[in-house]
Amino acid sequence: MAVDMNAPVLVVDDYQTMVRIIRNLLKQLGFENVDEAADGREALEKMKAKKYGLVISDWNMEPMTGYELLREVRGDELLKPTPFIMVTAESKTENVIAAKKAGVNNYIVKPFNAQTLKAKIASVLGDF
Amino acid sequence: MMPSTEVANKVREAINALKGADLQDPRLGEVLNLASQMSEAMRIFFSSIDRTLFDEMRYISSYIQRTRSEISNLRPTDLSEDRIPTAGAELHAVVEHTAEATNLIMAVAEDVMGADTSDPDAYQAYVSEKMMEVFEACTFQDITGQRIKKVVETLTHIEQRLERFANVMGVEDAELEETPEDRRKRENLLNGPALNGPEVEQDDIDLMFGTDDAAMNQNDLDAMFD
Repeated sequence: MAVDMNAPVLVVDDYQTMVRIIRNLLKQLGFENVDEAADGREALEKMKAKKYGLVISDWNMEPMTGYELLREVRGDELLKPTPFIMVTAESKTENVIAAKKAGVNNYIVKPFNAQTLKAKIASVLGDF
Repeated sequence: MMPSTEVANKVREAINALKGADLQDPRLGEVLNLASQMSEAMRIFFSSIDRTLFDEMRYISSYIQRTRSEISNLRPTDLSEDRIPTAGAELHAVVEHTAEATNLIMAVAEDVMGADTSDPDAYQAYVSEKMMEVFEACTFQDITGQRIKKVVETLTHIEQRLERFANVMGVEDAELEETPEDRRKRENLLNGPALNGPEVEQDDIDLMFGTDDAAMNQNDLDAMFD
């Protein structure tokens, strides 16, 4: 199935610089419809108000972490199917396994490059 | 010499025996003798207590003086009013400077990506000019390097003083009680970036999430905890 490039993507990160980087990379990949949230709680509110085709979230944020957001999303029947990619500096084995067990679709360790982001989005949404 | 309790018992017995006796009774002399012995025993007992207490108080006083001297050597005012705030300010400046440089570089990149390419010569000149801005922004690295070096020196200084203090005072680490913040970090696996690059490389993570034969399944993942 073709990837809907117009489906909104939600980028969740408390560092505006990182949001800007991911937004630019997504734009280069053809995703123009990008929203932002500064932590899990804000992201959850936006997800309840709007259907997103993909969530790209950092892990370490306050007051709600990306890990907590992931578990909230996977525990909500309506939000559950939303593809979720974690982009984080948390690179311990326990983090990756915990995210996988919580239902994350893919996991990117910072620092990352455009090729990695594209490959992981493709693995989750399909080739585009 | 007779133990003081025994002397006291004998005195008590003698007094009881003397009740009703007249003052000419020879046992009165025995009572006086025993009372004298008891008095001597008590004097020695109390003088030993005085000496022990004195020694103990002198030790505590000396310990307090030594502690004051060692705390003074830590120069806590210098640490709290100068070195630590300065180190904090240096780190804050590093964060601001790197963010400023990053934003400048990204703005240049966005400008170049959105530039008009219809005139190749003009486009090349524009890109060259913008690249100079990138080079200029990269000068932050030298300054931040110097700032971080100062912070590292401060941390080393504090570490050395605390280590000396702990050694001199014979201080051992106390058991730490988990604070709500510690608990949140533990439950949310907030470990932060690893030193010397990621602990698990992207390729290994890809294996966990891949779909080919080499990919790890849940059992493989679970086995990593066994």
